[in-house]
Amino acid sequence: MRTGARALVESLEKAGVEVLFGYPGGAVLDIFNCLPEAKFNFVLGRHEQGSAHMADGYARATGKPGVCIVTSGPGATNTITGLATANIDGIPMIVITGQVALSLIGTDAFQEADTTGIARGVSKHCFLVQSADEIPQTIAEAFYIATHGKPGPVVIDIPKNCQQALTAAKYPERVSLRAYHPESTATVRQLNRLAKLINAAERPVLYAGGGVIASGAASDVAALAHRAEIPVTTTLMGLGSFDEHDPLALGLSGMHGSAAANWALHEADLILALGVRFSDRVTAKISEYAQRATLVHVDCDPASINKNVRADLGIVADVKDVLTTVSSRVKTATHPAWLKRIADWKRLKPLGYRPLHDGVIMPQAVVEAIDRASKGRAIVVTDVGQTQMWAAQYFRHNRPRHFLSSGGMGTMGFGIPAAIGAAFAQPDETVVAICGDGGAQMTFEEVVVAVEHRLPVVFVVVNNGCLGMVRQWQELFYAKRYAGSILGSKGRMTIERIDESALDYDYLPDFVKLAEAHGAKGYRVIDPAKLEPTIKKALAARKTAVVEVIVEPRANVYPMIPGGKSVTEMVFD
Amino acid sequence: MNEEVYRFNCYVENKPGVLARIVGLISGRGYNIQTLNVGPTEDGTVSRMKIDILGTARVIAQITSQLQNQVNVIEVTCRKL
Repeated sequence: MRTGARALVESLEKAGVEVLFGYPGGAVLDIFNCLPEAKFNFVLGRHEQGSAHMADGYARATGKPGVCIVTSGPGATNTITGLATANIDGIPMIVITGQVALSLIGTDAFQEADTTGIARGVSKHCFLVQSADEIPQTIAEAFYIATHGKPGPVVIDIPKNCQQALTAAKYPERVSLRAYHPESTATVRQLNRLAKLINAAERPVLYAGGGVIASGAASDVAALAHRAEIPVTTTLMGLGSFDEHDPLALGLSGMHGSAAANWALHEADLILALGVRFSDRVTAKISEYAQRATLVHVDCDPASINKNVRADLGIVADVKDVLTTVSSRVKTATHPAWLKRIADWKRLKPLGYRPLHDGVIMPQAVVEAIDRASKGRAIVVTDVGQTQMWAAQYFRHNRPRHFLSSGGMGTMGFGIPAAIGAAFAQPDETVVAICGDGGAQMTFEEVVVAVEHRLPVVFVVVNNGCLGMVRQWQELFYAKRYAGSILGSKGRMTIERIDESALDYDYLPDFVKLAEAHGAKGYRVIDPAKLEPTIKKALAARKTAVVEVIVEPRANVYPMIPGGKSVTEMVFD
Repeated sequence: MNEEVYRFNCYVENKPGVLARIVGLISGRGYNIQTLNVGPTEDGTVSRMKIDILGTARVIAQITSQLQNQVNVIEVTCRKL
């Protein structure tokens, strides 16, 4: 017999947990009391949202579930954004929350919140533990659910009395759930039809999403692409599933995707959509999406097929399984006319930008400098907004699990903690976070964690003094009324009641001082000539660093398909 | 597409939180449940839920696969009333 808390720690060890992220509090003190004997490491975040994103970043970098523990009430509610972020992107994660004792639930006890009620809509599954005896089985089931079918976050809410009670329950050797059997494979008929479609196609496109990375199918996508000479475009979540140095690579598609990728999807006669969910940021105007194509949709999640676009052939199965079994039925082929048309588009509308002011760094150049300085090998972790899109566009992505980004939820504040989680997962890799000045301020407190664990993460803060993507939409669609989007000392709307003439600074905070206050090395770059050398220097030092780059504030993300428009209405600048 | 009333028959594990998850899944998407009936089956560990919803065929298909995805849902059938 041992306490429920001890049984929990044992169960996490059995589940193979290497690192536990989290933050303590009254309702999890019994569990924390067992941590000094645990076989895994504990990482103290500085905010529960940060701890949740760290677990998420760890999971994205490895494919293994990230695990996070927080207390009841505010501890639990602070993880909700992290749960939603992982849930929509299909990231396996376990969040353990303390709960008040069973006898106190429903009494408005101190730090009591209906955690499973609140978390239900932003998680794959929630457990409210009812006794210490349930703990080992529940942990095993949670890991099973998080990693089977479409991965996702699972919440385990454990009342304090269950942590304290004694139990002899053992961790199960196998997990079999009565009602949850997500495994599904393609039928022979489906595979034959798929092969026939590929062999008959004249203008095929492979369209790879996050599911390709989750199923470990990147090499299979490349094999199919080369065998049948099929160009490949990826979603934001799919970046890295196909090497962008490859001549068949079209790069990112969607709202800020390349012209070649979007037009290829538009003119294709066959789209092989693998592990994607056809987000509205990808399809643009849905009634005009890929009208000429036969659409094949392979995904492990039956709910994603026919959700946003109608599939001519929908296959609910693991992407890797489908590709390995279909490959022998696919004939080698070439599509010279199709590739020539795509090459013409690439030449006509290449990705590019022009400096707006002499001597001012363009934000796109920051991403290019990181690509060169890291020789294309960095794990790039982004925040959200313009910098995220530039990181997607201007880094030549070339391997899976090296572009970590909050795709579906678009969670500002994700970048810094997720980069820390990735650095714990891959200590020998180069991890670079690319954040804006807006997102960096949301979770900057977590930089301390990187410093104290001596993680060589380089946090690049691309500082344009504004919330760039918001500002861009206001410029293009809201008559340049920049309400609430300016962070610097100039250009504020009168509604904010800020007397600009009384301000003796250009912008706050001073990110170099902020870095130093957190124990990190701080660099500031203003001169374009110093950009790449500074990033190189920061990477070479293998120490936690913040590189603040002052960039052109008026740069916009192009190309762009404005909301509600179709791909034929792309705007280039 | 026309909206029509569909009846879901769900067999679910008889555990706390299952009803809330299923009802939340439907109401969270903005659909109104017209009739809801939950009761035990001969097997005490399984409950049966009858849910009537007004929706288009496409939405109903979407809800059906979302229900099937739920960890505690054993079986879902759906028919037009």
